[in-house]
Amino acid sequence: MGKGVRIQELPGLGTRYDVDLHSGSDRVSIVVGRDGKRHLYVFTQAGDEPAAVIELTEDQARKVGAVLSGTFFTD
Amino acid sequence: MHANLIGLGALILVAGLLARFGRRMGLPTVPFFMLAGILLGPSTGGPVAFEHPEDLDILALFGLVVLLFHLGLEFPVEQVLGSGKRLYIAAGAYIGINIGAGLGLGFALGWGAKEAFVIAGAVGISSSAIATKLLIEMRRLANAETPVILGIIVIEDLFLALYLALLSPILSGANSAGELLLRIGISFGYLAVLFGVARWGAKWIGKVLDTREDELVAIIMIGLVVLVAGISADIGVSDAIGALMIGLVVARTSIRERAERIAIPLRDVFAAIFFIAFGTSIDVGEIGSVAVPVLIAVCITVVTNVSAGLITARLFGLNQRGAANVGLTVLGRGEFSLILATLAAGAGLDDRVGPFIALYVLILAVLAPILAANSKYLARIIPDRLLHDRWRYVREETISTACTHLDRINITETDEDECQECVELGDTWVQLRMCLTCGQVACCDDSKNKHATAHYEDSRHPLIRSLQEGDGWQYCYEDQTLVREPAGSSRS
Repeated sequence: MGKGVRIQELPGLGTRYDVDLHSGSDRVSIVVGRDGKRHLYVFTQAGDEPAAVIELTEDQARKVGAVLSGTFFTD
Repeated sequence: MHANLIGLGALILVAGLLARFGRRMGLPTVPFFMLAGILLGPSTGGPVAFEHPEDLDILALFGLVVLLFHLGLEFPVEQVLGSGKRLYIAAGAYIGINIGAGLGLGFALGWGAKEAFVIAGAVGISSSAIATKLLIEMRRLANAETPVILGIIVIEDLFLALYLALLSPILSGANSAGELLLRIGISFGYLAVLFGVARWGAKWIGKVLDTREDELVAIIMIGLVVLVAGISADIGVSDAIGALMIGLVVARTSIRERAERIAIPLRDVFAAIFFIAFGTSIDVGEIGSVAVPVLIAVCITVVTNVSAGLITARLFGLNQRGAANVGLTVLGRGEFSLILATLAAGAGLDDRVGPFIALYVLILAVLAPILAANSKYLARIIPDRLLHDRWRYVREETISTACTHLDRINITETDEDECQECVELGDTWVQLRMCLTCGQVACCDDSKNKHATAHYEDSRHPLIRSLQEGDGWQYCYEDQTLVREPAGSSRS
């Protein structure tokens, strides 16, 4: 795994990837569920409570992931 | 054929709608299925869907079998085996305290020894489905204590199999101690055989099950599962264990993923029927007579869970928030308690056991989500010494691995060897600390100016480490705890 990514097994649920964003204390945690669902947690400096939580299906996650990884789309 | 389709349809529909109503308020589904059964069952004055609840028996039993089959199927063997000794100790403490208290309560009620064992299991084993759903809904998947909670409930699932293996012979009505021991021996021997099949025979089972067509996979698989469950029941081990173990076997075959996909809708519908059927067997008139014991049981459960949460928190070095969350998230009781209640009914135990467990599950179903969501109030009143009384020895043995701020470590090495602020003031210092977020080097709390702590108060950067040669510890201001890297994490 890349630098700044921590892996944590969540028994029975899936695997959690904690990604350090190196900008102050922002971080993103992604839980990849065994059922294919992705739970995306965004933490900002404000505190321990996540600033945003989004649940994505496998399809949606693939779409968002493709955009994030820089795939080029046209209309 | 004169099947009561109208009654069956109405029951399932009402159960689904009730559960949907409950979900809107964040309550678990299982108790609502049971509630539908109670409301439309023969014992209330209102409309009755089924005059003869026993007509539901075969469907309900099938529901129990697929429910446990699916549990075995998705049991995360590798994740459990890979988790450390600490988790087993924590889960052992959780189960020990809860089952122990349940046994105490069961015997204190004076309904009988067999009844006591059923009640101990029903109040002692939590619902993994409820706890998992709560964690997702309360947005706590990223919390430090969450892997621990999930680990505990998964080990509890495994414990259920052992408990059932112990309970079935006890309930079977052996006449002497020797006969009882023999039956327990058979029960555990059978469990060992199925473990063996799961370990070495999965390949062969896989060959029988694996065809290209999902239709045939479904039929052959369900046939096998029901057959094994039936054989298990026949030789005096419970059908539930047989189903669970065959689930573990299928989980190791090549068709595992397809099996899960096929089993889920079957489980959803038929397990609901199982819970409904349990509801219809409840005599509402009995509920009044068990109200006081149930309230006592609920109080005991809350206390034992919070205690287990504190023990777990100490083992894993969690802070107050973690301790409260562990204790209050694992509070829900559901499917397993109802399975045990059904066993009790089947063995002809005291009539009060069923209503007792039904009411207990209903109350906790409402209470558990509320308490879990408000765990922060409990966290505020947990005194430090319950979690950290080993602080004095912490230099030798750093205890905590569960600080939630490790992600804020950006820098761990520095060439700096003086406290800049002290140098400017012309002061001296005792030892140096380094901020792990921005790398600032400052003097410690034994020094005159305490610049490291002052830096935390300005910047809120939570973690420092000692720059003293050979010290190797980190301290988190926010969690007020000494920390080291979480076990098993890789930062490379």
